[in-house]
Amino acid sequence: MTAAALAAAADPKVHLTSQTRILAAAIAVIFMAMILELIRRDKLQERYSVVWFVAGLGMLAGAAFPALLGVVADLMGVRDTNVALFSIILLLLLGLALNFSVIMSRQAAQITRLAQERALERAREEARSAENGREAERERL
Amino acid sequence: MRTLVFIPAWNEAASVRAVIDDVRERLPDADVLVVDDGSVDATAARAREAGATVASLPFNQGLGAALQTGYLYALREGYDFCAHLDADGQHPPAEVARLLAEVYADRADLVIGSRYQDGVGGRSTGAEGADEPEGGADYRPTLSRRIGTSLFRFFLTLATRQRFTDTTSGMRAANRRVMALFSENYSPDFAEIESLQLAVRQGLRVEEVPVRMLERAGGSSFLTPLRSTFFIFKGMIVLLVGQFRPRRAEAER
Repeated sequence: MTAAALAAAADPKVHLTSQTRILAAAIAVIFMAMILELIRRDKLQERYSVVWFVAGLGMLAGAAFPALLGVVADLMGVRDTNVALFSIILLLLLGLALNFSVIMSRQAAQITRLAQERALERAREEARSAENGREAERERL
Repeated sequence: MRTLVFIPAWNEAASVRAVIDDVRERLPDADVLVVDDGSVDATAARAREAGATVASLPFNQGLGAALQTGYLYALREGYDFCAHLDADGQHPPAEVARLLAEVYADRADLVIGSRYQDGVGGRSTGAEGADEPEGGADYRPTLSRRIGTSLFRFFLTLATRQRFTDTTSGMRAANRRVMALFSENYSPDFAEIESLQLAVRQGLRVEEVPVRMLERAGGSSFLTPLRSTFFIFKGMIVLLVGQFRPRRAEAER
């Protein structure tokens, strides 16, 4: 497989100039550094960062070994590597968006329950103090 | 035996007081809770003035969440039975008493007040002059409402194999089994219909009782044609998804 991959590197259908590769690698590194910084500043929780790290690593891998792209394109049966690349990115983003919707739904449910608990707490207090007031009045009579 | 009557209210300051007074008059033994769904007007203050306990949600959560709050309160505070009605004056508390009678007698776990079912002895048309203590006009549905109603009726009947006429009725009475179910599972998006499907699928006895409803006292319906279409579409999806939720027997396994 690796031999095939290396062979594919010489394949003219994967044509990334070293300039593009360096640029892509730099972007990937900066991207991952940004994620680390966000975690450090408590702006991003670790559990939501894993997926972004994987994306960053993927980017780096693509820059280091452009042949990988050719292999993936072959596996997909796509002749044009660029199309394969864009399809993969599109699918990844779609999956991420869905993932966020799921997280959002869960949090919405949690917020609702939190609001309900707070409302109930206060209602209970109110009912109890009303009860006490009535009792106090009865005692006074 | 304790009964809780709860009233979900969102910006209903104009009518909530009259509804509470009416409930206290017709159901003197019941405690009254107003679930204030993040109102920005004086709904909570009016409700307290009328002597009701108020559970205020910190922000508007939608009818489903408000109703669930009521069920949760009833369950936690150990009420044996609960009922709820709308705060806009459409639901005469005298009719709620009839729903409660059904759950008191243990003829059903959940009782729905239906404004469409016939056989009320001319309640909706005949004996109006003689018996109209509320003094409002009788309920008359609009066309889009009628279309939506019949669609939901058809699909809910198909889904539950039980005949329902008023699927979106917000006037209900329930016992503790229903409280336990609804306080855990209640869709915030599509409260009325999904809850019926859920209750039937969980093996609870759901019954409809014909009731008289009035034209709303204040405010207008939130349903525009576009919204109605969206509402109906959403309802279909909710029902379809609901069919794939586990039944109780399966869930316990």
